[in-house]
Amino acid sequence: MQTSEAQLKAWMTDGLDGDAVAHAALLRALVPLLSSFYRRRMRGADDDVEDLVQETLIAVHTRRATYDRERPFTAWLYAIARYRMIDHFRRRKISVSIEDVETILVVEGFETSANAQMDVDRLLAGLSPKQARAIRDTHIDGLSIAEAASSAQIGESDVKISVHRGLKALAARIRGDQP
Amino acid sequence: MNTEDLIQSLSMTLRPVPRRALGRRIGFGMLGGAVITFALVVSILGIRPDLHQAMLGFSFWMKWIYTASLGIGSVVAVTRLSRPNPTSLRWLWLLAIPVLLLAGIGIGELANTPSSGWLAMWLGQSWMICPWLVLTLAMPIFIGLLWSFRRLAPTQLRAAGAAAGLAAGAWAATIYCVHCPETSAIFVLTWYSLGILLAAGVGALVGPRLMRW
Repeated sequence: MQTSEAQLKAWMTDGLDGDAVAHAALLRALVPLLSSFYRRRMRGADDDVEDLVQETLIAVHTRRATYDRERPFTAWLYAIARYRMIDHFRRRKISVSIEDVETILVVEGFETSANAQMDVDRLLAGLSPKQARAIRDTHIDGLSIAEAASSAQIGESDVKISVHRGLKALAARIRGDQP
Repeated sequence: MNTEDLIQSLSMTLRPVPRRALGRRIGFGMLGGAVITFALVVSILGIRPDLHQAMLGFSFWMKWIYTASLGIGSVVAVTRLSRPNPTSLRWLWLLAIPVLLLAGIGIGELANTPSSGWLAMWLGQSWMICPWLVLTLAMPIFIGLLWSFRRLAPTQLRAAGAAAGLAAGAWAATIYCVHCPETSAIFVLTWYSLGILLAAGVGALVGPRLMRW
């Protein structure tokens, strides 16, 4: 579960103002974000990932004065994370094949995915709760039909029908057939 | 160390960070260096005896405004590059304005001087030492900036080093004005600028090594 940009930024700003609880909450929320950031780029090497996550937390803490409150938090965070990783490669004298450079430099699409998330939420809000849940479970969270059925405590065919009708309604809405 | 323990210990002694903390950090570093540079100029080179007189004239302020405007522009660049995700530096071409203005004044001076006097005007009394003095005097300010950068997060180290060198050189030249007796625009344009550029070059050279974090 990713914490939203707005929440992270709020914790960061409160931390800058001296709120230790918000600061700790921020650092804790960054652990999964940074772990997946590094794991995706470093194949295996779990120890390295943990080291990098910790180094980045320390950098976020000691260099927090370089965060500009007017600008997005995650862009600042990932700029630090990317620098820490490149420095890690440099220290270990690891050379990276040119194909991998692209995955390393790829900018974390956090804002875009956050915006997409908001669009999805807005669309699903227009459906019945059952249909919205069925679509979210199977198409966004990636559950199987059986898993979705047992978690919603309804039949499998019910899930399938909900998904089918829900998607049809969404498609109609996006085409503009319905207000 | 366990990550949770690390988070605990990091947020245990949390000090608030004022909004202007970044600018203040850079300012302190530069000011500390500038005080040393000024002390070196006063104690070793000496303030020019006719400073009072010179401050009433055009050429003193021409030099001073030239170097100070380069200094201000480069400090803004340093501030931007001290963040991990710097905002655009495309406005840096504005630094060409003082250079072009000074060149314009220089051309005017040349036009009003018989060509036999051009060489003397260009070389002045001190062309051989001026760039080296500016470079040397830039070092305390550059070191001050390195101290500032220990809490900052540059990610383009060569650019950050060059900007820090440029800022140190420009402010060192500004301080050097209280000693330097030269008056011609083409002298300043050539030899001051050379000293400042040397400082920027040294910064670019050592930045990746000394600003790593």
